Amino acid sequence: MGGLFSKSKKVSRVTEQDRAVLQMKSQRDKVKQYQKQIARKLETERRIAKELVAAGKKDRALLILRKKRLAEQLLSKTDGQLETIETLIQDVEFAQVEAKVFDVLKEGNEALKKVNDSMNIDEIEKIMDETKEAAEKQEEIQRLISGESFSDTDMEAIEKEFNDLVGERDGEQNRETEIPQNIKEDEPAPELPEVPTDEPVQKDVAVKENKKQKIAIEAS
Amino acid sequence: MAEINWPWQYNFPPFFTIQPNKETQKLQLDAWKSLVLDYCRSTKQCVIDVREANNSPVFHNAAISRKLPPEGILLVLEELAASGNAEPLDKTKTRWFIFWRTLQELASIIHTWAKDNGFTNTVCTFYELTNTPDQEFSGIDEDVLQKALKELEKQGKAEVILSPEINGVKFF
Repeated sequence: MGGLFSKSKKVSRVTEQDRAVLQMKSQRDKVKQYQKQIARKLETERRIAKELVAAGKKDRALLILRKKRLAEQLLSKTDGQLETIETLIQDVEFAQVEAKVFDVLKEGNEALKKVNDSMNIDEIEKIMDETKEAAEKQEEIQRLISGESFSDTDMEAIEKEFNDLVGERDGEQNRETEIPQNIKEDEPAPELPEVPTDEPVQKDVAVKENKKQKIAIEAS
Repeated sequence: MAEINWPWQYNFPPFFTIQPNKETQKLQLDAWKSLVLDYCRSTKQCVIDVREANNSPVFHNAAISRKLPPEGILLVLEELAASGNAEPLDKTKTRWFIFWRTLQELASIIHTWAKDNGFTNTVCTFYELTNTPDQEFSGIDEDVLQKALKELEKQGKAEVILSPEINGVKFF
């Protein structure tokens, strides 16, 4: 049975288009072989013409060259044929790909339709409602089991404590950025030039740090 | 034609006489096997005719005027057949296919090439395959190619299309 199945499957694997493409490809191969043959002939004719010229047989050399010219024309004609065949092969192969894409799209669309059909809007609404109810029930159970729940005032207290903590943190951050401005206000610009030249940095930093502390206390 | 790396045995006269000692003979035949395969690979020769084999330099070293007798050639070919590297064309065993790659190896090489070059699901002519440049299978005998493709067909990776005019294959 399996053998029979695989056999029938095998037969279907090579399509009519495949055979057509193969036929064209084989024709292309034949043209290529023909070109090879002509190219070889050209080679010999060129050689013979050269020999004839060397031997001083002008008429015969001209005759051979005329033949050679004819063969060259033939070669360029076959080039055109080759191009036509190859274009056609590409077109057929591309059409095969397109057909496959089309089939896949059709299948995908069908599948999407089937899935969508299996979903009824009313049913979905019902399910969503039920889910909501269940969630509410769950919340209630949760509240009952844990015994006490936070009242609104409790929540407010928690919120407040949280905000305080946030405020504290922000205050700390602001302090650091604000300090330079405060210093400028406290020590106006005209006073700045009296900074001494020998080792003044250490002192200044100390002063600044003092100020920082002062301001920090004020802020809090 | 590529340059052939002759093994040292090739210039060793006793190499051309089948050795009576079984162990020596085994070594000798192994050397012959690889020599024949190397030679056929570099000359792209796919068929050996026992009657004409002595005209081929592989079985006839003119430099030391030694020839492997036909019985010896047959022995080497039988050995090659045992490892899947040769196959007689018919029952007379005068003409032999030489597979320097076993058919299975060749089949997977071809299939890998087809996959790498996007030839799956398309048809190729035998001429197209044997004229692919720089591949292990370029220039091989179309009969050998057909045998290798039949291997692929057994694995379901290809289907050989044979008709009086056109031989082709479709890869999957």
